[in-house]
This record gives sequence, structure tokens and C-alpha cells, in this order.
Amino acid sequence: MEQEVWTFSDYIMLVVSGVLVNNILLIRFLGNCPFLGVSKKMDTAVGMTFGVIFVLTCTGPITWFVEHYLLEKFDIVYLETLAFILTIAVFVQLVEMVIKKVSPGLYRGLGIYLPLITTNCCILGTCFYNIRFKFGFMPTVVFSFASALGFGLALIIMAGIRERFHYARIPKCFQDTSIGLITAGLIGLSFFVFAGLAK
Amino acid sequence: MEVLKATIYPILVMGGLAAIYALGLGIAARIFYVYVDPRIAEVEEFLGGANCGGCGYAGCSDCAAAIVEGKAPVNACVAVGPDKWEAVAKILGVSVEAGERQVAMIMCRGAKDKAKRKFQYMGIEDCRAALLAGGGDKECQYGCLGLGTCVKNCPFGALSMGEDGLPKVDKDKCTGCGTCTRVCPRGIPKLVPVSLKIAVICSSHDTPPVVKKICEVGCQGCGLCKKACPEKAITIVDSLSVVDPSKCTLCGKCFEKCPTGAIQQLLPA
Amino acid sequence: MEGSRLVKEFTKGLWKEIPPFRFVLGLCPTLACTTAVRDGIGMGLCLTFVLVCSNILISLLRKVIPAQVRIACFIVVVATFVIIVELVTQAYFYPLYMALGIFIPLIVVNCIPLGRAEAFASKNPVIYSLADGLGMGLGFTCSLTALAIFREIFGKGTFLYHHIMWSGFEPFAFLQKPPGAFVCLGLMLGIMNLIGSGEK
Repeated sequence: MEQEVWTFSDYIMLVVSGVLVNNILLIRFLGNCPFLGVSKKMDTAVGMTFGVIFVLTCTGPITWFVEHYLLEKFDIVYLETLAFILTIAVFVQLVEMVIKKVSPGLYRGLGIYLPLITTNCCILGTCFYNIRFKFGFMPTVVFSFASALGFGLALIIMAGIRERFHYARIPKCFQDTSIGLITAGLIGLSFFVFAGLAK
Repeated sequence: MEVLKATIYPILVMGGLAAIYALGLGIAARIFYVYVDPRIAEVEEFLGGANCGGCGYAGCSDCAAAIVEGKAPVNACVAVGPDKWEAVAKILGVSVEAGERQVAMIMCRGAKDKAKRKFQYMGIEDCRAALLAGGGDKECQYGCLGLGTCVKNCPFGALSMGEDGLPKVDKDKCTGCGTCTRVCPRGIPKLVPVSLKIAVICSSHDTPPVVKKICEVGCQGCGLCKKACPEKAITIVDSLSVVDPSKCTLCGKCFEKCPTGAIQQLLPA
Repeated sequence: MEGSRLVKEFTKGLWKEIPPFRFVLGLCPTLACTTAVRDGIGMGLCLTFVLVCSNILISLLRKVIPAQVRIACFIVVVATFVIIVELVTQAYFYPLYMALGIFIPLIVVNCIPLGRAEAFASKNPVIYSLADGLGMGLGFTCSLTALAIFREIFGKGTFLYHHIMWSGFEPFAFLQKPPGAFVCLGLMLGIMNLIGSGEK
């Protein structure tokens, strides 16, 4: 995905790739722990989705800056892991403080997911992918947003299905996590339909 | 020189980054400081913790905040007992009057073999869904459908589905939060004081000829109990017998007269 | 008394509280790094190393770290050991490094090291934290290996990259793909629950 010049259709393809073809959760395996915890009800899933979209779209470019203007300048790229996770944790803490003060209503709906999002592998994973795929600044922003959107899509589909499990007769040993994983696999299988649409 | 650079740079850069972040967060913590009453966390320790909604607030944190602000009474949490209410009262420096503990009771005796069914229902195992399918499969439009919506939604696991298709209440686990009452589409579980001694275990307002046809154990509203009661504790409201427990002396005359056994003495808990 | 507690802390990570089956933690590497047995064992051992070292260090520092910044401190400690593991695998085990990809640095946000640091290492002495870390890490390695054995033998027909199935065998490629990982893990979890409930 290295390119010098990005046209608008390249960005569209990037979004399609991030959301559908290489869905960050179902195909790239990032973000599974909150996926199974938060997808039991629709309103928690929606809250988590908005939280992830906001945090990832902001931290993607911020970590890109840290990598290119700090770590590369001093040739300490191997400290990438430490620098990124520190940046993400600090950013999330800051956002939580601001939301708590500025909008308590939003904090009630969204703020409780923010600490969960810090250790969400899809945030750190996408930041790593931005570097591995050698994206420029604008593709970083678009790819981060697209990944978060893909995470949200998978989460909401899962929540919609899992709410129905309440009424189904599932054997005791398969309840909760087990049937959730099997369902996630079947949803992922349906996403295979998009393979070949984009890289 | 290279080794020096390789050692010093990481320490300086990471240390510098961490220092900037720490400074930033420290300043932000001052600017965006929100005062949270520490008593809220203390009060929350003594609440039920199940987020059952019985207090009418959206979760235990909400209820704790309301209690500390004075919007909710100290005994708002129905899921815990008087000892916890006293602890909460002590934190806030007020006193509390104890009310009587309430438990749920299923006001229907229409088991699978006792009440007639209109058709065989083979749909989603939920009473609310069954009600949408032609008003439920029971002939009696007031009766318990037996699919266990209340059982599935009890936050304390106090309800279990009996063999006869009627839910059973475990009085020790029941906290009287009222979730089953809200969730049942027919409002069959009712909250009663735990020391209640007599009740009419039926919710049917159908007239006597109708009840006789569709249910062996329902209250027909025939009025024999009302005539038998020496204390005039019983009235018939809309073809359903209602007992005033304050007047009842447990003489037992109504039990003898009732043709279906709908009115019953409740065994001590 | 002390010896038996040590054994208890070590063995609980091997069955009763085995991640990711009993403690539903660390699912991302479980799904992603089990397409081949070598990757599964490699990932498990990397995580064991990080877990043991971070448990020891956090347990040593537990009286010194202030409560408000404890999560940040735990993250920094775990990140340090993750970077060490990353560099060592890149240098000495390059094929494994290429196969595991970004999941090695992602150990830093894996729920297992952070969860055990928060729940155990910050509250217990060094020797028990060491036993806990070792037990959990080895339990995790065993889980990954079990899943990887199933996925590699039936999904590719190989074991440790040697062909072991008969020549006419059609590998069940679904198991090698992401959805297959989810379904396989879900079924294994269900079976573990069945065995577990049978014990009770």
C-alpha cells in the first residue's frame, strides 16, 4: 500500500478495505476482548463504537507524528511500542477528564468505555499498521477512521444478534462467550464475500 | 560516542516525552477538576450492586448519587435489608425508619394440566412474544403463560420455572426489586409483604361461567368467600375476590367454601 | 504451608483459571497466532516471558508505586519487557517474528499481563507472583498449542511444517482462515465448559 500520490478513489478503496475486506475485528483479529464483553446489548455497543471512532481517529495521526518527528529523528524506532502506548493512555486520560467536566451527560453515556479503550488492541494495532503500511499523513487519518468504522460495524451486528440469544435455547456449556465466538466466526465468514474488492 | 548516543537519546527522549505528558495531565487535572462527593462511593458500597433498577434509578451509582444529594430516601435500595439502610444513614448522618420487606408472589395457579390452552404455541420462548401471537396460548386472558420471562430477568436468581409451567419464588433470594412485575406482560407477579398470611392466588377478572369453562383453579368471582367471612374482610371487585389482610383473623371459613381453592392461607416463610 | 500455597498459585493457571478458556483474556493472540503449532508455542512463550518478568518487577515495586498512576506504571513495565522480547525474536528467531507480525508488540495491551499485574502482582510477594505468572503463561501456551495443533493438522495437513497426513488428504482450509479460528475457539471453549461442569 505504498503510494506516492493518493487520488480520491484510492481513499475510497482504503475505506472499503478497512471496513469490509480486511475488517479489523473479524479478519485482522484486533479488539476481541471488548468485542465479547460489550456486544451483549445494543446501547453499550453503540457507546463503545463512538468511543473507538473518536479515540482512534485522533490517536492514529498523533502517534504518526510521534513516530516520524520524534522516534525517527533520534533513531530510537525500537521504542515505538512504549511511545505509542504511553501516548494513547495519556490521550484517553485527557479526553476522559475533559468530557467529565464539559459534558456529564456524554460522560455517562460514553466516558465509562474510555479506560476500556486504552487497552483495546485495535487502537494500538491500527497505529502499528499505519507505520507498517508506510502511510502518509492523510492516508493515516482515513485508515484509522475506516478501521474504527469496521470495528463498530462488526460490534453492532454482533450486538443485534446477541440480543436475540436471550430467547434461544442454548445448551448451558455453550452460553455466553462460546456461542459469541462461533457467531463471530460465522459473521466473519459472511464478510469473505468482499474479498478481492480491494487489497 | 555511538554507544553514548544510543544510551542517552532514548533516556532523554522518552523521559522528556513522559515529563511533557505528566505535566500536561497535571495541568489538565487542575483545569478540568470535577468535585465528586466522596460519600457517593461510600454509600454505593452498601447498595445491592446488581443494578436491578428497583429503586427507580439507572443503576447503583445513580442511586447512590441521588441518595447523597437528598433526592432519594436512605432506604431507596429495595434489594438490601434494614442493616444496610442503617449503614447508609450513618454515612449521611440521618436516621431511617424500617419498612417491611416485600417479596414477589405469582398470582396464578393455572398449571399446564389445570388451565385450558387455545392452541399449541411454538415460537420464541418469551411471554411477551407469546402474547403477540393471538393473545397467548392460554384460554384465560389473565393467566400466566409459563414461558419464563420473569425467571430469565430476575437479577437475583430468585425465580425458577416449575414442572407444572408456573414460576416458583425463592423467598430467601427475593429482594422485592419488582423487576418481575415490570417485565411480565400480564403483571402476574405481585409484591406482597413477606408476612402476608392470606391471598387470592388468581388474577382473572372473568365472570363465573367463563372461568368455570377454562380453568379448574381460578377465582370465579362467585362470592361464596365473601358470604362466609364473619369479619367482612372480603370484597368482590370485577369478578375477582379481594381480601383485606388487616381484618382477616384466619378463621378459615372462606377456604372451606371456595369451590376451586383460589383463596389460600400462605404457609409461614 | 508456604510451599503448598506456591504450588496452588502455580497450578491454578494450568487448569482452574487457564487463560483464555476459563479467564476469557488474551483472545486476540489466541485467534491470530494459532495457524501453525510453531507460532502458537512461540507466542505463548513470548507472553510467558513478559508475564513472569513484569509480575516480578511489579511485585518488587508494589509498595513504591503510588495508587493514582499505577496503571501507567504497569503499562510502562510491561512495554519494556515487550520491547526486549520483540528485539530478541527479531534477532534470533526471524521466521517466528515474521509469522507473528504485530502481535508481539501487541502483548503490551494484552489483558493477561495487565490483568495479573493489577489483580495479583501488585498485592502479593515476589515468589507467589512468579509462580502465578509462570502458571498462567504456561497455561496460555498449552491452550494456544492445543488450538494450533488442531488448526494446523486439519487445516493444512502439517505438524510443525512437516506433512503428516496421508497424501490424498484434503485440508479443511476453513480452519486456517479467520472465521475458522473463531468457530474453532468457540467450540473448544464450549467443550472445556462441558468438561468443567462435569467435574463439579
